[in-house]
Amino acid sequence: MTRAQRKLILPATLAALVVAVIVLAPVLPLPDVRSMDVPNRFAGPSATHWLGQDEFGRDVLARLIWGGRASLFIAVGSALAAAVIGTVLGLLGGYFRGLVEFVTVRAAEVILCLPPLLLALLVVTILGAGTWPLILALTILYTPIYARVVYSATLQVRSLDYVTAQKAMGAYPLRILATTVLPNVMPPLLVQISLVVASAMLIESGLSFLGLGVVPPTPSWGLMIQAARGSMEVAPMLLLWPSLALAGTILTFNFLCDRLQTALDPRGITAGGALWLRGGGSRGAVPRSARRAAAPKQDTLLEVEGMSIAAQNAGTSLELVRRVSVTVRRGETVALVGESGSGKSITGLALTGLLPDALSITGGDVRFVARDGEEIDLGALDEAGFRRIRSGEISMVFQDAAASLNPVLRIGEQVAEALRAHGGARGRDVDARVVELLRQVGLPDPERRARAYPHELSGGQRQRAMIAVAVANNPRLLIADEPTTALDPTIQAQILELFRSLKKATPDMGLIFITHDLAVVAEIADRVTVMYAGEVVEDGPADEVFAHPHHPYTAALLASVPEGGTDRLVAIPGTVPLPDAMPEGCRFAPRCSHARDVCRTGSPPTSHPTPERRTRCVRWKEIA
Amino acid sequence: MTGTLNRRGFLASTGAAAGALTFLGPKGLKAQEGQTLRYALSTYPPSFDAWASTGSAAGAIKLMIHRGLLSYGPDGALRGELAENWEVDDEGAWVFTLREGAFWHDGSPVTSADVAWTVTEAQKPDSAALFQAQLALITSVETPDERTVRMVTDRPLATLPGWFAHYHMPILKDGEAQDSLIGAGPFTFDSTERGVSIRLGAFGDYYKEGLPKLGGIEAIVYADENLRVTALEAGDVDLIEYVPWQAMQQIEDNSSLKLDAVDGPFMYLTFNGSRPPFDNPLVRRAVAHAINRDDIAAAAFYGRGGSLAHLPIADASEFYQEDLSQGWAYDPEQAQALLAEAGYPDGFDCVMLSTAQYGMHQSTAEVCQAYLSMVGINVQLDLPEWATRVQKGNDGQYDLAVMGTTADNNDPDGLATVLDGSLPPSFVRSYGMETPEISDLFARARATFDLEERIALYRQLEEIALETTPMTGLAWRSQGYAMKSGIEGFTNLPGQLTFYSPITLEDVMAG
Amino acid sequence: MIRYVAIRSLTAIFLVWVVVTLVFMLLHLVPGDPAELLLSQGSIAADPAAVAALRERMGLNDPIWQQYLDHLGGVVTGDFGASFRDGAPVAEQIATRLPRTLEIIIAAAVIAAAAGIPVGTYAAIRAGGRVDGFVNFLASAAMSTPVFVVGSVVILLFAQQLRILPAGGYVPFSVDPVQHLKLLLMPAGTVALALWAVIVRMSRGAVLEVLQRDYVRTARAKGLGRGPILRRHVVRTALIPVLTVLGLEMGTLIGGTVLVEYVFNWPGLSGYLVAAVDARDYPEVVGIVMTISVIFVFLNLAVDLVNALLDPRISLVRR
Repeated sequence: MTRAQRKLILPATLAALVVAVIVLAPVLPLPDVRSMDVPNRFAGPSATHWLGQDEFGRDVLARLIWGGRASLFIAVGSALAAAVIGTVLGLLGGYFRGLVEFVTVRAAEVILCLPPLLLALLVVTILGAGTWPLILALTILYTPIYARVVYSATLQVRSLDYVTAQKAMGAYPLRILATTVLPNVMPPLLVQISLVVASAMLIESGLSFLGLGVVPPTPSWGLMIQAARGSMEVAPMLLLWPSLALAGTILTFNFLCDRLQTALDPRGITAGGALWLRGGGSRGAVPRSARRAAAPKQDTLLEVEGMSIAAQNAGTSLELVRRVSVTVRRGETVALVGESGSGKSITGLALTGLLPDALSITGGDVRFVARDGEEIDLGALDEAGFRRIRSGEISMVFQDAAASLNPVLRIGEQVAEALRAHGGARGRDVDARVVELLRQVGLPDPERRARAYPHELSGGQRQRAMIAVAVANNPRLLIADEPTTALDPTIQAQILELFRSLKKATPDMGLIFITHDLAVVAEIADRVTVMYAGEVVEDGPADEVFAHPHHPYTAALLASVPEGGTDRLVAIPGTVPLPDAMPEGCRFAPRCSHARDVCRTGSPPTSHPTPERRTRCVRWKEIA
Repeated sequence: MTGTLNRRGFLASTGAAAGALTFLGPKGLKAQEGQTLRYALSTYPPSFDAWASTGSAAGAIKLMIHRGLLSYGPDGALRGELAENWEVDDEGAWVFTLREGAFWHDGSPVTSADVAWTVTEAQKPDSAALFQAQLALITSVETPDERTVRMVTDRPLATLPGWFAHYHMPILKDGEAQDSLIGAGPFTFDSTERGVSIRLGAFGDYYKEGLPKLGGIEAIVYADENLRVTALEAGDVDLIEYVPWQAMQQIEDNSSLKLDAVDGPFMYLTFNGSRPPFDNPLVRRAVAHAINRDDIAAAAFYGRGGSLAHLPIADASEFYQEDLSQGWAYDPEQAQALLAEAGYPDGFDCVMLSTAQYGMHQSTAEVCQAYLSMVGINVQLDLPEWATRVQKGNDGQYDLAVMGTTADNNDPDGLATVLDGSLPPSFVRSYGMETPEISDLFARARATFDLEERIALYRQLEEIALETTPMTGLAWRSQGYAMKSGIEGFTNLPGQLTFYSPITLEDVMAG
Repeated sequence: MIRYVAIRSLTAIFLVWVVVTLVFMLLHLVPGDPAELLLSQGSIAADPAAVAALRERMGLNDPIWQQYLDHLGGVVTGDFGASFRDGAPVAEQIATRLPRTLEIIIAAAVIAAAAGIPVGTYAAIRAGGRVDGFVNFLASAAMSTPVFVVGSVVILLFAQQLRILPAGGYVPFSVDPVQHLKLLLMPAGTVALALWAVIVRMSRGAVLEVLQRDYVRTARAKGLGRGPILRRHVVRTALIPVLTVLGLEMGTLIGGTVLVEYVFNWPGLSGYLVAAVDARDYPEVVGIVMTISVIFVFLNLAVDLVNALLDPRISLVRR
């Protein structure tokens, strides 16, 4: 059971409780809701009447419970009826489009143009007041809403590959709708149902208030509120109880609906928030504890030693990256290599303080030498501290440029923002610098491109723009996280060429190139750091590592690269272990053909085959 | 009090002119007066059609702008307005003598020609006038001189002056449109914001000297009864009509406000006499005995009203019959016996029509339903909004129905509208109910000028009504006006005349 | 763009025609006779001859298709007809009533947006925290309390107990601006409360979603401060869905403020509609419904256009 599912328990219990009381009304020992006791009208709570008596001396508690029955029955009934009809209309309209769409979805939208009250008024006056006309009125009212939701969901699903494939295979449309499209539109539908139930209860009460709803003496909350409003001065509690019941029930449903949304949406967008945005003593300056006098080695730009990153959640800690050490010298290109799940991207994010809220550096030393020669402990920086070094000192190029550029801002503005953030250029200078940067990253016609929106550029052009943003303030260290992965092979080559030319133009800039593609590494990297399951398994000069890997994982990775003559790709058997199921001993052992018993007992120590190289394999000597 | 019509109008008609003089106040007073009164209307007049039945709120506006030949004074007695004298001549025709010094708002004098024109226009079949059918009984209107109007009818009509006292029967100036806002009343129409408010100013040439005392009236619509009370309490208005019953106590308890309420309008049940089970008088009488009317007064009117177990004739009226007043008294055993006798020992199912639009109709229906279920009559409520309820009532789409109304005036003749089965079908009376004896008695009483004789006729009528139960009275309801305690001169007219009360606005002084 | 607007407008006009026809037909199905009703005010038995005369005058004795064509013909030439009740021109009445309802809706939308967007954004930033929980609760509570309850309580509090506001009613701005605004405060506030709840929840959700977007991370990587990131990247993008919802909500409110207008005695279009239906004043009902649906469909169009303006990815032509 996930956290989101656990959080469903409370609202679900509450909702179940409300429903149970209401459903069980006939068997509960309640007084008759119709029996009047006029002499004792407006009597306060007593042993026989826990919530007192109403304007006819009837029992308020009994009427409240039975009233909920009427209100809920109408709300749920109309929500379900509308869901069924609306779903069918939406499915048909969304799947077939064209004329079918017109007579289903568009026709349903006529109803949206009518004031809801007029609609209810017309239906109820034609059919007479009562429960069923009310359900009909509300059903008509809500059908277009479902039709819309399902229609747009269907449109999305309809173009998905597996639906197209089924269509191509000649499956009947109805079958496709029932088996593939419907399950996909279920989540938004469920959420919509709980929303509609809440809203239907509100409208039911409003209609009953206007005398268009339930027929007395059947109680409903709206009727009770209406009656109590008249005697507000005499008996204010009579207004309070049904209002509370109504608000409380709707609140419960909203609550349930929120949690349901969270549980159904695995991305969990509703659980996020943003720690970095919360105030909390932003000092703005690099804290003293993070400063150190002199650099240990002259050329070192970044020195990561034994850095661990863990996900913290409700007291438990899950280590995602363990004791990683990486060093980057001035002008050096270090490639961080590994399969997905190896922790390389997280390592990159940690260096710019952009880790997701749930993750944090839990150990080790991360030292960065700034332009002024000062050494900064990145592990001790807060958001404001990082802000000062981002872009100007350390900058980052992200994997998916399409997502990493703001879709509603022009490219030029996004580059200019970076420039302005550090108070460099102003006014006209900025514009000129933007164009210059865009030209530098190889965007054709940079003046025009600066005015374009991201979606108006090609994938490669977007990545170039992304790079322009990253290098706008001449960073000392550039971290590129899979910058070519999402691109076509030809574009990949162009982007790699761009990195190479950038390095030529700024020879002092260090570059961490995160990739899973060894072919790319071979082209660009001076050094290679191979990561597996959150650990560095091998490290050394690129050419040496490629020639003589000292770790079976590196060897396996190299073997999997389709090279010139080989058209057979040697895949590594198995998958990267999950962080909560790390094997004892060497983490690669379960997938390693060289593994021995010793590998499965203790964590292998780091060995130095040469001063420039490291490996975490006890048997490195035996691996050619 | 009801008898004054006859005493004044027939027995002592010459004394009428003197009455107006008592209203004359010292002339000097007027200078320091002249405030504007803010009057909270319960609804905006659907139209300003002078002669159409447009409801009591419209009636209030008409009583500000227009005047009829006659009216009722604060004591409920018929009094002269544009006419200072009215009597039946030897040939049985009514002769009205107009007062001198009455002017239209445009400055021209009110003449007998205006009255004749009014009668002729309103009696036309397409006039849509409330009294069109009655006025049609006037065969000719003669105007021997500028101040005399003689109305000739086929047969003697004792009730004719009452028509011209009604707020839906004002006199209009010759040639004016039917919804003209030029009248001869104490206030002149100034401006209106449709649906929101109507502003009126004092008419300087009003025929009662020194009146009106107010400088003007601003009638503001407050449709929600609770808000109407709140507006009075908050000081947004000075006087409100249709005080909701639940608020009467709190107004009485408030030292800065006062309440003037009378029992006038009444609630009753109508039956569908065209089909079983209510075509059987025994069943109707069983229903009449099955309902505890005290609970209706308590629950629907917060105790502001009273039980009505006979015909709606007030106990102060000379037509009131003490020994008949409990003719339909609550007696469940008798109700059950009657049901058994009618062949329904185990009761039956039926539909009761009422409306959800007005709380009092709904509450009354709910109480009736509860009591009827105790004698085995299983009632299903039908509570559409008012318009549908009216239609269903007219078409007889019900078994029994809750209604509430007032009679035109305190004369028992006003009850014909709810009792007389010979009248065309209407939601205000039982559907398909044959009442030949009652219709006959109404006609005879109308043609009789002798009070004692009329009392005897109406007693006979009430006895038959109690026996056959063409409808059954349920409850008197209190009709209230509330105002700031500084308001002087406003009087809630007694009994059925309560909606005539805005005529006293001419005497009102805002303190 | 122009082509798009033209097509959408044509569809809208078609939609309005369908709505008007539907309402016209339904109205004649609804029991209740306008002439009868008008003449039986105050529970007085109307005279059948008078009713017949009035029906003739109202044109109700014509066959229904002729009434429909007459009415439609009038509408096309800009003549909405006259009220059955007092002959007031319907168009003129709508022209005086509509701005009052719009005033409430716009005032409520402004209040709700001004108070809702910052609160929703703050709650999103503090998602999962205590403040967030409280805001969520508040919004849900505001959403689930019927307006007539809120209205009654507000009147009790401000007009009856504290006596700082009038109990309700309407004074034209031109007559007394201060009183006008005072009177506007309670109804607009009451409508705003429910709208506020919607906006808080929408903006919270939208901000949360945007916060997870990669481009926000990019903005941080640029070294931008909190303020600029929130303003330029988070709220600006999150506003698009929020404004869409706000626009649609405003659309449903036209004609949906009945209860508020009733409780606060505000003579707007919604109350006018109910009164017209109650009186079976067909020309009025049809005229009002037509006005409401015209505004509704064109507001939807406007929302789409504004969306396209705010979000360059949306291409109007493709849709």
